[in-house]
Amino acid sequence: MNILIFIKQVADTEARIIIKGDQKSLEIENKYNMNFFDEFAVEEAIRIKEKNKDTQITVCTIGSQKAVEALRTAIAMGADRAFLLDGSKAAANDPLSISRILAAFAKKEGFDMILCGRQAIDDESANVGVMASELLGIPHVSAILKMEVVDGNTVKVENEIEGGRGIFEVKLPALFTTQKGLNEPRVPLITGVMKAMKASIPVIDPATLDIPQETLAAGASKITILSYESPQERPPVKIVEGETPEEKVKNLVKALKEDAKVL
Amino acid sequence: MDFRLTEEQEFFKKTVADTIDRMVVPKAQEIDEKDEFPWELWKEFTKLGYVGLRYPEEIGGLNADKIMCMTFYEEIARGSVGFAQSVIMNILMGTYFLYRFGSKEIKERCLYPAIRGEKIATMCFTEDQSGSDLGATRTTAVRDGDGWRINGTKMWITNGPICDFATVLATTDPSKGLKGLNFFLVEKGTPGFASGQIIHKIGCRGTVTGELVFDNVWVPYENFLGAELGKGVFYVSDILDEVRLMTGAMALGIAKGAYNEGIEFARKRVAFGKPIGSFQLIREKFAEMDALMNAARLMVYYGAWLLESGMDARVLAAEAKMYATEVCVKVVDEVTRIYGANAFAYEYTPQRYFRDARFLLYGGGTQEVLRDFIGRTILGKL
Repeated sequence: MNILIFIKQVADTEARIIIKGDQKSLEIENKYNMNFFDEFAVEEAIRIKEKNKDTQITVCTIGSQKAVEALRTAIAMGADRAFLLDGSKAAANDPLSISRILAAFAKKEGFDMILCGRQAIDDESANVGVMASELLGIPHVSAILKMEVVDGNTVKVENEIEGGRGIFEVKLPALFTTQKGLNEPRVPLITGVMKAMKASIPVIDPATLDIPQETLAAGASKITILSYESPQERPPVKIVEGETPEEKVKNLVKALKEDAKVL
Repeated sequence: MDFRLTEEQEFFKKTVADTIDRMVVPKAQEIDEKDEFPWELWKEFTKLGYVGLRYPEEIGGLNADKIMCMTFYEEIARGSVGFAQSVIMNILMGTYFLYRFGSKEIKERCLYPAIRGEKIATMCFTEDQSGSDLGATRTTAVRDGDGWRINGTKMWITNGPICDFATVLATTDPSKGLKGLNFFLVEKGTPGFASGQIIHKIGCRGTVTGELVFDNVWVPYENFLGAELGKGVFYVSDILDEVRLMTGAMALGIAKGAYNEGIEFARKRVAFGKPIGSFQLIREKFAEMDALMNAARLMVYYGAWLLESGMDARVLAAEAKMYATEVCVKVVDEVTRIYGANAFAYEYTPQRYFRDARFLLYGGGTQEVLRDFIGRTILGKL
């Protein structure tokens, strides 16, 4: 089975992020990781491979040379090979443009199954996986929590739906986005780390893929960032006064009704 | 001059840091509080394969270069120096002589399981009256039939009370002083080999440190770990630079751990309506700490580069250990001042770094012995 995984390198949750003066770009501290939800995708692929040795795991990402680090992490965990799609060569970078590039790469490489995180934790758009599946004309199930490969052509997956769980049987090829709870991503073995250090990672120019070039050009993005805003500062803590606990509760309820207007 | 790490080394550093953040950092406070060997963490961590770091791939190692080794020592000490000491004992001192001189059987019985984390190794130099002064070693090894009869007591042995085997320094001829010193392998279960008193330390807790007693212990001849009798002290010199740089790297790790927490605290802690990091006297501390740590880091990694290049690193390794451990003590002290009274509470981490930093002043040669060695080497025989 050929499993293809789309991953993204994102800023670490503890990295300092500053909105630049133009309000349209960010200055990010040099701390990056593989997207949290993509780790579940990599882990699941490795678990499939552990049960079925005849599996090849390919990982790809769109980004700068720096993103190679995230690809190496996937190899250290157990992926077989990785490709960097050179993000600097595509001026358009909205989710649809990214999906076009990934879908074109998937079509070129071939696959039985595509896995990716349900969303990236930086822009939180949750679009790319789903759009790529549409562009490829294959089924998808989002935010899966359980997966069982029934045979080479069929997969049974579960996801969370309002008030319960959805259970689906899906014919391959298909795309699944992964959710926290699917598995526990492994810490790479040092042998994997050494393999990843030595791995050669080809860089692919998106322009060489079968995509209408005008869709990658500057101005082709259908989403434009108008501005980034910092979250509002939290108001100071208010201590509810009162002589007795009863009076404090009474004052708290009053404040919730009149000041916060939540009751 | 190129100070950059290669892309591969950068990746190694990041992966090790992530692994330590995920597996060791969350347990560091608990390891310190309980002061018990963290068996569960040991099993989980050694499964990853880092213990084979510096050994060839053919024997289950990774053949990592010295820069990568220092990166690892620094990162694991940043996580928990109590845990780091035990792991590094298996990686370096506890297995070095077995790898270099052990027979095929000894390697299969002890070295390879130690690299897999299945056996715990230790190295015994120190006695109650000797540490840096190896010539004062009183433990003896005397030929007896087809083997050696060992008698003596060792102190301050990292992993000692829980070890599966020990590389023991003993004199085969007290009249020869340093030239009478040799190393011997003693395995757990050998009659007369027992652990004595456990030392309760103020820092580096979680590492079990204690006394090992050799009461008429007989070992076969092949347990002599050396190519030639009387060369033990020369073999020690072969590994000493690496041990000193490793101690410097651990000091960098402790300093970095404390410094990172100091940054977080200075950004969040508010006094007089502003984060304390906005006050000049607090900023000055960070400027000082950062400059000191950068200088120490350059020394440690330059020393590692010298070693890797096969160049003479004796003076620099001693200087790097001396300087980095003093920097560590200074940094953890400054961080406790940034934390104010909170640093005095067990609930916060600076007190742990403060206690841990002290031990590195003594391990790998005291500052006084190192200074004497450096000065003597520079001035030559007068």
